[in-house]
Amino acid sequence: MTTPTELRDLAQRLLTYEAHAGMTSESVASAILRVYEKLRHGLGEVAGTAGFQSLASRALALARTEVPGLGVARIAADGSLHGLGEIEHQMHTDKDRPDESPACDGGIILIARLLSLLLLFLGEALTLSLLRVTWPGAALDDCSSENGRKA
Amino acid sequence: MSTQGKVKINKLPTGVPGLDEIVGGGLPEFSFNIIAGAPGSGKTTLAHQFVFANASSEHPALYFTVLGESAIKMLRYQQQYTFFDPAKLPDSVRFINLSQIVLEKDLGAVLEEITKEVEKANPAVVVVDSFRTMVRKPQSDMDLQSFIQRLALFLASWQATTFLIGEYAEEELRDNPIFTVADGLFWLRQTAERNSIVRKLQIIKLRGQDSVPGLHTFRITEAGVQAFSRTFGLTARKRNPPGDRRLSFGVPELDTMLDGGVPEGDSVLIAGSSGTGKSVLATQFIAEGIRLGEPGIVAVFEERPEAYAQRATSLGLDLESPQNDGKLAILYLRPLDLSVDETMQSILDAVQMIGAKRLVIDSLAGFEMALSPGFRADFRESLYRMIFALTGIGVTILSTVEVDESFTEFPFSTYSISFLCDDILRLRYVSIDGQLRKIMVVIKMRGGNHAKDIREYEITSKGVIILGNRLTEYQGLISGIPVHSD
Repeated sequence: MTTPTELRDLAQRLLTYEAHAGMTSESVASAILRVYEKLRHGLGEVAGTAGFQSLASRALALARTEVPGLGVARIAADGSLHGLGEIEHQMHTDKDRPDESPACDGGIILIARLLSLLLLFLGEALTLSLLRVTWPGAALDDCSSENGRKA
Repeated sequence: MSTQGKVKINKLPTGVPGLDEIVGGGLPEFSFNIIAGAPGSGKTTLAHQFVFANASSEHPALYFTVLGESAIKMLRYQQQYTFFDPAKLPDSVRFINLSQIVLEKDLGAVLEEITKEVEKANPAVVVVDSFRTMVRKPQSDMDLQSFIQRLALFLASWQATTFLIGEYAEEELRDNPIFTVADGLFWLRQTAERNSIVRKLQIIKLRGQDSVPGLHTFRITEAGVQAFSRTFGLTARKRNPPGDRRLSFGVPELDTMLDGGVPEGDSVLIAGSSGTGKSVLATQFIAEGIRLGEPGIVAVFEERPEAYAQRATSLGLDLESPQNDGKLAILYLRPLDLSVDETMQSILDAVQMIGAKRLVIDSLAGFEMALSPGFRADFRESLYRMIFALTGIGVTILSTVEVDESFTEFPFSTYSISFLCDDILRLRYVSIDGQLRKIMVVIKMRGGNHAKDIREYEITSKGVIILGNRLTEYQGLISGIPVHSD
C-alpha cells in the first residue's frame, strides 16, 4: 500500500518548513534529518526512547516497500536515523530542486509513514497536538485518511 | 487556639463521579497518594480522570510513565474515555516517559529527572505510572524508602498533588514504607464471582479527610471510573424530620385502615403471593401521588415500562402523561452484572432528578434476581442503606415482595426484610364458600395506630376495591382455610 497523499503532503510541509528554517546550502538529507530528529525528540518524551525506536523501525520497514533505496537506512537503538546521507551520495541530487531528489522522496515517505503510525495509534487530535508543539509555526491541518487501519 | 488560625486544606475534584463523596468532599491539595491494585483494576484510568479534571495551562499536570504499558498504547486507549480531552495536551497535560532512565540508571537518576521536569513545569498535579516497576528494579545508590521520602517532600514543597500508581498485592500492605509515607492510599480490587466481575474501591487511609469507610463498588464505563458510595452520596444531605402528613393510596378504605394513609417518609412493604394485586396497589399509590402533585419513581424488574404503563391504563390510570411531563419515571432495571449499589444509584439519580416524593420498587424479588450472583449477598445490607438514605430525605418507599402462599403459616416476607419496613400490608388468598377470594390486613405501622380488620378485596378494572366491612363471620382467615363461625 502506498503512502496516502495527504500524509505525504504533511511530511512535505514539515520538510519545506525545516528547509526554509535551515541554511540554504544544507543538503536535503540534513533537512529530512532535522524533521526526523525533532519528531524523535518530541515523541521520545511521550513514548520513551524504546517506544520511539519501535515506531521508527516499523515506519522504515513500511517506507522501504515504496522506496527500496531506503534499504541502506537504519534506526539505531536510541531511535536516531542513519544512512540517509548515503542515499543522497549514491544518486544525483539537483540542489535547486531538493524536494525531487531520491533521498527527499525516501525521507518524505519515511516521515509520512511515521506520521501514519501516530495517526493509527493516537488519532488525529493527539498527533496534531504533538506536532504543533514541535512546529508551532507550521500549518498543520487534516490528515486523517489512515485513521484506524493497519498500515 | 481558635479554629480561625488553622490551615485550610483545599479539596480538589477527583473527576470520578461518586468519589468526591467517598473521599470526604474532594482530594486534599498537595497530598501524596498511592493508587494500588492488580493489573486491569482501573488505576491508570482513575489517575487520568484526576489529571484531566484538574489540569489547566496555568496549573498543568505532569504524567510520568515508566515501564509496563506502552505510553503510546496508554494514550490510544485512554483517549477513548469521554473525560480525555486531547486539546489539553501538551500545555495542560504533559506525558513524560522515564523508561530509559529507569532501565539504564538508578532511583537517584529518576528522582533527578522528575525534579528537573517539575521545577521546569511547576505542575499542580504529578502522576508516576507505574511506580511499582521502578521499585522492582534492583537498586544501588538510593534505597527505596529514601527515594519515596525525598520524592514526597519535594513534590509537596512544589505544591503538587501527587499520585503514584503501583501494582500491589494486599499482603504487601503491612510493613511497606511506601504506604507509611503516603497521605492517601486508594486500593482497587477486582474479583470474579461466578460469571460476573465485582470491582471494589477502598480508601485505606486519607490524612486530613473524613472519608467514607468500607468497600465501595465502582464501574468502568466509556466515561471512565464511576464510584458508588456506600452512603449513596446522601450523608451530606440534611435529614428531614418526620412530618405528620399521610399519603393516600387512592383507595379510601385502605387509607382508613392505615389511619389516614401511609406516613410520609415511611418504608412500606406489600407482601403477597402471585396475582394478589401487589403491583396494582403499587400503581394506584404512585398514580394517586401524581394526581396530588407528588412526583414519583417506579423501579420495575419484571416487565418493561411500556407494559407497566399499559397495565395502568387498563386500570384507568394514566402513567404516560406524567412521564412526558417529568413527574414520573419508570425505570426498567435488568442490570445482570451490575452491583446493587449501582442499581440503587440509578434509582437515587432518578429520585433526585425529578424530585420524587414517592418511590415504588416492584418487586424486591425481581430486584434481587436482576443482580449478578456475586452481589446478592449484599442485597439486604444495600437495601437497608438505600431505604435509610431515601426515607431520611422524606421519600416514601413502597416495595412489593412475593411470598409463598402457605396454608399453615403466614409469612410476612421470604426475604427477611420486614425489619426494613415501617409498615407492612399483607395480601393473601383464602378459600371461602368454594371460591378463591382475597383478603388484606395491615400487619404493622411503626408510626402508630392502624386497623386490625381483615378485609376482603377484589381487583377490578378500577384497581383494588375493598369490599364491605371486616369479615366477622369467619375464623382462621389468615390460615387461608377459614371456617364459618356458625
